[in-house]
Amino acid sequence: MTEPLISARDLSIRFHTDEGLITAVEKVNFDIAPGEVLGLVGESGSGKSVTAKALMQLNAGNTVYDSESRITLRADGADVDVLSLRRPKEMMVIRGGAISMIFQEPMASFAPAITVGDQMVEQLMLHSSMTKVQAKDHSIHMLERVGIPEAGRRFDQYAFEFSGGMRQRAMIAMALSTKPKLLIADEPTTALDVTIQAQVIDLMKELVDEFHMAILFITHDLGVIAQTADNVAVMYLGRVVEHGPVRDVIRNAAHPYTQGLLNALPNLENLNSPLTPVAGDIPSPLERPSGCVFHTRCPVFMEGKCDRDVPVMVNQSGDHAAACFAVVNQGGA
Amino acid sequence: MMAETDAKPILSARDLSVHFPIGGGLLTSKVVVRAVEGINLDIPAGSFFGLVGESGSGKTTFGRALLHAAPITRGHVKYDDGEAAYDLAQVSKDELKEYRKRAQLIFQDPYAALSPRMTVRDIIAEPLEVMGLTATRAETDERVREIAAKCRLNLEHLRRFPHAFSGGQRQRISIARALVSQPRFIVADESVAALDVSIQADVLNLLKELQKDMGLTFLFISHDLSVVAHVCDHVAVMYLGRLVETAPTRDLFAAPRHPYTKALLSAIPSLDPDHESTAQKLEGEIPSPTNPPPGCKFQTRCPHAIDICRQQEPSLSHLGLEHDVACHRWEELAEASAEA
Repeated sequence: MTEPLISARDLSIRFHTDEGLITAVEKVNFDIAPGEVLGLVGESGSGKSVTAKALMQLNAGNTVYDSESRITLRADGADVDVLSLRRPKEMMVIRGGAISMIFQEPMASFAPAITVGDQMVEQLMLHSSMTKVQAKDHSIHMLERVGIPEAGRRFDQYAFEFSGGMRQRAMIAMALSTKPKLLIADEPTTALDVTIQAQVIDLMKELVDEFHMAILFITHDLGVIAQTADNVAVMYLGRVVEHGPVRDVIRNAAHPYTQGLLNALPNLENLNSPLTPVAGDIPSPLERPSGCVFHTRCPVFMEGKCDRDVPVMVNQSGDHAAACFAVVNQGGA
Repeated sequence: MMAETDAKPILSARDLSVHFPIGGGLLTSKVVVRAVEGINLDIPAGSFFGLVGESGSGKTTFGRALLHAAPITRGHVKYDDGEAAYDLAQVSKDELKEYRKRAQLIFQDPYAALSPRMTVRDIIAEPLEVMGLTATRAETDERVREIAAKCRLNLEHLRRFPHAFSGGQRQRISIARALVSQPRFIVADESVAALDVSIQADVLNLLKELQKDMGLTFLFISHDLSVVAHVCDHVAVMYLGRLVETAPTRDLFAAPRHPYTKALLSAIPSLDPDHESTAQKLEGEIPSPTNPPPGCKFQTRCPHAIDICRQQEPSLSHLGLEHDVACHRWEELAEASAEA
């Protein structure tokens, strides 16, 4: 067992708002090994982006991390306690150092009035010992590497002159040019067309092999997860309800929520199968359900149990685990 | 109620083109974006008609043109629901007012489409008031409550404001507003794209239910082929303003003929982690509609392009019951794949 590159333990994240303290993430645990792709799936409001941003301390000023929350990064032999970092100088270990992040909307990630090339060079000057000339050569090389034609000319263009797919490639090139150990990809293909999405997924797979970096891949699309991730964690209302190797979770989903998500997906192999929605709506964060957070929408809800107690993660097989009382019963039989 | 076998189109587009001039300053010359070019398409009454394509393919503009919400540069759009008939290319102001009652649009983003300052009741009632369809407030309320119930909205929530609702509920409010004037034809433009999968299935089921109950015809615009496969009975595929293939859903998914349709289908990420896509992946991106390539518009990305594709634009050929494809080489390629 290789030592994890980064691990989160009892990660709970709350936000101060006008309407009170809102829980976004509650007692989340995960490890990511070097070279591993961990998929984080969930609906909007499930806390997946907040979790990812915590790894780089990118959440806003009104964020409160619980005192027992720990994020540990093992970079170059030393352990870094990520949540204890305070000063911007200290944060350079994570931000742009060991970790890079790419976002859903690449247009929002590039400054509109600075050329793409200048932005790439700027971050290399900050995070590496390259000279300006070296940084430029390296940036053009990275643009070529992600499949941007005429990289030398593109280097001097602005983000608005790029098409959507090209912008996403440029962002990947920029994120990888500092050779991060972990890449956080927050819905990197959601805004793209399927044909471009397929290209970007292939590119990311190649880059994982080449650079041997780990990826935290956030998406709501289980199909994308199936094609990219080694392991997957399913989140609902700030809780990880199921995690494990991607094959086990997709083929033998144990948690009713994961099963519901899979049933709600249109299946191209069987056009006659009806679409089954997960009943009900995701509750407002102000009305967080007691007990198991999924109990208000759960088809196997047990009164007096699920609305009172919080289920713990129970192993199904190997590394595959789910947090559900109903599953414990079945598994015990 | 129209008979099941009645294949009479409610809308038919003939050589429909929508061009937008852009730029054109004092010294620069005007550039024309050919968003929709020469489309011939019949939408059968009572169908759930899917329209797919990448961004920039012109599917939204085509949908808007059918609603007389985009300028028709050339060609005709005939609407005929059996009670009223219009030619949208030369419709008068009064006719257009009537047409608006019969044809409606459901938008993509349920967060942007609803005014935050109006109650749900007022949002749904607005079309009735604007179109003058009801005489009294009591009648308006009656109509609002009726359609809200059909869209599975909680009637006690009608006095609330949109911010109190989740994405799925908001989309049901948008649907109720579009349907309150009892239209016959609905354009649903990416109407489930902004919703989570668990909610998406619910809204799709609702749309299908309403279609049957109210005898509606839908043009369902989407980039998500797996959704289209499940809800639509016919599908048309657009690329760079052109129609490249149209067929009944099952035929299209069982035997796609156009290389672009094949590429789109194979690009859908499979839920099976061990699935290795054997199909050819598309290189490059959709060209700019201001500067489309000569010949077949898909030739720059097509793995099967030959000389004729670069010179001559293929027209739609009819290859079977309601199945049309615009490709010079479809027969050849179909034979090759049958042998393989």
